[in-house]
Amino acid sequence: MNVETGVVVSAVTSLATGVAAGFVMHRSDFCLAGMLRDLFLFRRTFMLRMFALMLLVTMLLVEIGRLTGLVRMFPFPGFGMPGAATVIGGMLFGVGMVLAGGCVVGTLYRMGAGSVLSAVAFAGLIVGSVFYAEFHPVWKNFADATLFFRGPVTLSQLTGVSHSLLVLCCAAVLLTVLIMWGRRGELVRRSTAERYLQPWKASLVLACLTFWSVSVIGVPMGITTTYSKIGAWLESLIAPGHTAGLGYLKAIAFDYQNTLLGISYRGGPGPALDGVSLMQYPLVAGIIAGGMASAILIREFRPHWNVPASQYVSALAGGILMGLAARMAPACNVWHLMGGLPIMALQSMAFVAGVVPGAWLGGRLLTHILSFNQSR
Amino acid sequence: MPSKEIDMRGQICPSTLLTALREMNANKDLIRSGDLELLFVTDNRDATVTIPESAANMGYEAKVEKSGDGYQIRICKHTS
Repeated sequence: MNVETGVVVSAVTSLATGVAAGFVMHRSDFCLAGMLRDLFLFRRTFMLRMFALMLLVTMLLVEIGRLTGLVRMFPFPGFGMPGAATVIGGMLFGVGMVLAGGCVVGTLYRMGAGSVLSAVAFAGLIVGSVFYAEFHPVWKNFADATLFFRGPVTLSQLTGVSHSLLVLCCAAVLLTVLIMWGRRGELVRRSTAERYLQPWKASLVLACLTFWSVSVIGVPMGITTTYSKIGAWLESLIAPGHTAGLGYLKAIAFDYQNTLLGISYRGGPGPALDGVSLMQYPLVAGIIAGGMASAILIREFRPHWNVPASQYVSALAGGILMGLAARMAPACNVWHLMGGLPIMALQSMAFVAGVVPGAWLGGRLLTHILSFNQSR
Repeated sequence: MPSKEIDMRGQICPSTLLTALREMNANKDLIRSGDLELLFVTDNRDATVTIPESAANMGYEAKVEKSGDGYQIRICKHTS
């Protein structure tokens, strides 16, 4: 395959993945932010069960892919070593996603479906992402100095236990609890929303999309570097001299060869069109388009602006915090929960250790903000 | 029966459910005596699941209808 064809196949693959993800997430109200938030705010665990199903299927598919050679790069490029910076970044991300009313992907498909609040959170994500560049050198020194381990990226590499054996053990536990939930009827929920897609079906689709992405592109779905790139581009229009001097915007986040498509992905958070743009821009556009298509097809696309001001403030603050935290961790919940946990990436485990208490804290803050609004 | 309409269009999770819980709690005596029903208007699809679930847990009846570009969720005294 020549380079031009490889680039087109890569872009179309990412776009199609995004459209499918945005569509099914909108139809099933699949919300990874809500999964943790509702656990603490309302003691609801339904989305956690859906996540367990997605984790199980992704884990098995990727392992089969690894053993058969369909998944050529393992661990996936982009996963680093765990440290305190990832835990702290995860915690701030948890707070941000609850305040914003959705994570980085939820924000995209809801914005596509006409949510004005999600559009505000999207703007916040861009601001937060580019603001990180201002203190990147200090944070990078802290992150390097507080790594938990140097060298291993996955649990298998850390423990020396076969990855297949670890997958089998995890799969056995997940399968057991899923069967139990299934027998109790706890894997389905009643909804009267038009064309509602049962979330368990969305879990299966999303697991297949992750497998598809790591097989064709080489990495799971990830989009947060895009926010930095958009922010850096906007900043370069306003303050070109300052933007040009920011070291973080010259960094290389990805640099790997896709042997299937015969292309390389090399690029970073700077404003230039590069390998990261090729990987992520079509995915981002696809998720927005998928959410929009879903909403339009069932006549539910109509933006409403008349929302309490406190919710705009919360969405903007949450977006800024998420954008910042996704650079500090680095990466977002989608990258770590849907891509990293299924391969037992240590960095993703550290992210989870931060994002769970962060979601709890975010819930406390959000209820305070809403109560404050009502009392006025 | 008197009805109180709460327009939540444009709002997303969890503010839709938090608002609904606040209204249901604030008006619980009137709803239970059958003197008031609440009508939530929302375009948040998730609310069509979470609000009826919470209403059922509180002993109320919930009916969801598609209305325009969103949904109407009617909360009233349990009749059966």
